[in-house]
Amino acid sequence: MAAAKTGTARQTRIRKALKAALRPELATGDDKAVKIRVCAGSTCNATGRAAVSDALKKELDKREHSDKVEVVLTGCHGLCQEGPIAVVHPKGVFYPRLKARDMAEIVETSVVGEDVVERLLYRDPQTGAAVALEKDVPFYSGQTRVVRALNGTIDPTSIDDYLSRGGYTALAKVLGEDDPEAVIDLVEASGLRGRGGAGFPTGTKWRYCRANPGEKHYIIANGDEGDPGAFMDRAILEDNPHSLVEGMLIGAFAIGADEGYVYVRHEYPLAVSRLRLALEQARERGLLGEDILGTGWDFDLRINQGAGAFVCGESTALTASIEGHRGMPRGKHIRTVAHGLWQQPTDLNNVETFANVPWIVTNGSEAFRAMGTEGSKGTKIFSLAGKARNSGLVEVPMGATLGEVIFSIGGGMQDGREFKAVQLGGPSGGCLPAELLDTPIDFENLTRYGSMMGSGGMVVVDDTTCMVDFAKFFFEFTAQESCGKCVPCRIGTQRVLEILERITAGEGTEHDVELLEELSEDIIEGSLCQLGGSAPNPVLTTLRYFRDEVMAHVVEKRCPAKVCRPLIKYTIDPDACTGCMACTPACPTSAISGERKQAHVIDQKLCIKCDTCRQVCKFDAIPVVDAQPALVEGRAQ
Amino acid sequence: MPRRSDGTTATEPKGSALYEVLKGIDFERRELVDKPRGVGLFDLVKDKAGAYKCYACTLCERKCPVDCIEIDYCPEFEELPFDLEAERALALATLPGESCGANAACVMGEQPAGFVPEIDMKLFDPVVAGIRGGSGLVEALHATQEAYGYLPRVALEEIAGEMHLPFSRVFGVASFYAQFRLTPVGKHVISVCMGTACHVAGAPLVAEAFSQALDVPVGGTTPDLLFTLETVNCIGACALAPAAWARTSRTRA
Repeated sequence: MAAAKTGTARQTRIRKALKAALRPELATGDDKAVKIRVCAGSTCNATGRAAVSDALKKELDKREHSDKVEVVLTGCHGLCQEGPIAVVHPKGVFYPRLKARDMAEIVETSVVGEDVVERLLYRDPQTGAAVALEKDVPFYSGQTRVVRALNGTIDPTSIDDYLSRGGYTALAKVLGEDDPEAVIDLVEASGLRGRGGAGFPTGTKWRYCRANPGEKHYIIANGDEGDPGAFMDRAILEDNPHSLVEGMLIGAFAIGADEGYVYVRHEYPLAVSRLRLALEQARERGLLGEDILGTGWDFDLRINQGAGAFVCGESTALTASIEGHRGMPRGKHIRTVAHGLWQQPTDLNNVETFANVPWIVTNGSEAFRAMGTEGSKGTKIFSLAGKARNSGLVEVPMGATLGEVIFSIGGGMQDGREFKAVQLGGPSGGCLPAELLDTPIDFENLTRYGSMMGSGGMVVVDDTTCMVDFAKFFFEFTAQESCGKCVPCRIGTQRVLEILERITAGEGTEHDVELLEELSEDIIEGSLCQLGGSAPNPVLTTLRYFRDEVMAHVVEKRCPAKVCRPLIKYTIDPDACTGCMACTPACPTSAISGERKQAHVIDQKLCIKCDTCRQVCKFDAIPVVDAQPALVEGRAQ
Repeated sequence: MPRRSDGTTATEPKGSALYEVLKGIDFERRELVDKPRGVGLFDLVKDKAGAYKCYACTLCERKCPVDCIEIDYCPEFEELPFDLEAERALALATLPGESCGANAACVMGEQPAGFVPEIDMKLFDPVVAGIRGGSGLVEALHATQEAYGYLPRVALEEIAGEMHLPFSRVFGVASFYAQFRLTPVGKHVISVCMGTACHVAGAPLVAEAFSQALDVPVGGTTPDLLFTLETVNCIGACALAPAAWARTSRTRA
């Protein structure tokens, strides 16, 4: 009884401290009032968000509405393809692809009046019908937003926005109960697995880390999102940095950490500045630093910027980088939970993993387990990119099929082209073909089919992408990013790249294909860390699902997708060519000649196959054809 | 034997302070006089063609039980990662009409040994403050690059001194990470994204087009120090693919 009573007193004290931390007058409030949320994510910023929000404010001033209508610059709304985006509340009218000149009409009709501007509404790419409300846009209605629930709603630079929407209550709950083991039990029971790629159970990792003795325990968030084509962590850091801070605080309390680091890529300047601001605000309100929420518990976070090394996403390389060494991994006979940063027990989780934690604490492990499949619980954010109509961030429960994500949410393929493959997990993952579109996405399934979850990059490609060239792209990446410590990875990736270069140059043999398979197995077996251990996945999946295309390069010396330069040539169709002279000045090597209104010709000796002429041609008169086999043989000799 | 400027060779120690320290060394035989066997000056072995066999693997430096070996810059080697031409161009551009501190050798078209361009050490103060405030090596390098736009050799030496690390270690870290530059950067930096989504949308063609337009290879800087063209692995703007990121470098804007 006595214990329960003191517990209650502690809880009351913490709740009061949390309430004191909030300054409600600084929060942007709910959606009932008239309010315009303008997306200020990186992509919308790049497509002219500043001009749009300036014009919006000016129009509001002109109509003397500035004090009645709040303009909130929010984090990323997710549908990056359609930026800059603004949503007009209380109705939630969704306006994509805005221009500064449209703002007068929107203010007049949707803000002062209560109508919608039909002309500017989002069009459903499949039906062509206008969609007025944000929640009805198919891209959003197909998602289940748990981690990204507040993104696009709150102002990421305001801690009060986060606090007023229940932020840090999970931390207060954990601190109030004062039982770290119970937190670990809860996370373990929820079935949360690491979102960085390997999918190790988070609760188990925390338990090991807590149990290991050391002078100090460290906790690190891995935001070194090096996979090309992945930007989920960037979105969390930019759009809701406090969810990461809260998750890390809970984790730190559970494992008994004294100090934490957030390792962020240097290529994400906006993420770094927003996180830095979030840490300052949290310190100022007594949520970070000394005596957190009046409990006497001290914990602080530091930001550590990476410097452009993919291998630093690997746990031991990451700690080496923080310590000021070259980012080279070590053999993991002893895990980082025992000997990590500065030889102390260290817990390293992905940014997205931490962002899941406050939700689990608030809603309980059962609610989390209710989403997902047998082995993979909860939701996962994917960054959909490539040739899908809607590029952006998609959060779906584990177990959603690839087809649902790409076709229902992603809106299908651009320009009506044919789906060819989807690449998951970046350079460590693989390409899955159309036959596997019905596969539910979870850790086990992706591994079974030769790909992996990775951090969640999902790049869709159509029939204009050559799969051999695509595999070569990933090997160029891994060969360049291999740190050079172990031989199988350093030399193996280079040799695989050379074989792929031979094949794409039309000089490959059938023996090369066998060699590729053999070498890939060796790299997987022999590499020190997972960079090498997963590097051959793109090649192995290409050989598994797109063998015909590889063999076309090897046997017929032909690139079916018309990408590999030595195997193609540009020609001019004399019937379609009007002699408009558009291509002649565009050609960088002056390879095109011909009189006005006469069909032109390309001098194959001068042509460097840069594709410029095909792009400027308005009459589709420049078809790309297979180079003559004789030409290829001649070149090989 | 290298001839010194006053006509003597290094084997004839004169009474300078330098040679006071080196007393007791037989330079001809490269060993220490009156020392037990096995102790002496060690030299790098050359192959028949006269080139040094050492390729600075740093194994000896790391394995030496008494830490007496330090791999450092050797003036006899051509120092590849540091672009002397570009550094000189920067020094001249910084101080038009004035001496850049390297005597007049560069104007005469000679390569002064160990040429060091002058850099504004005032910009370096925040880096030192950061190091004293407990920042790590990578952070210090970031701060230096923010101040100068690249990592000048002098600054790396200063960092090594300030952090009590061998220069080789600082240089090793600086050359490991793709984001650190050892050569001066142009006023405008163009980074062409080479991420997966950009690749399938034709990023290699974009990089090639920039390269042709600026007449520099990827990773190069135009001779007038106006543009630097580089590629970056992914800037996370996949929805805008193919993407390129142009920015003005902070230093000489």
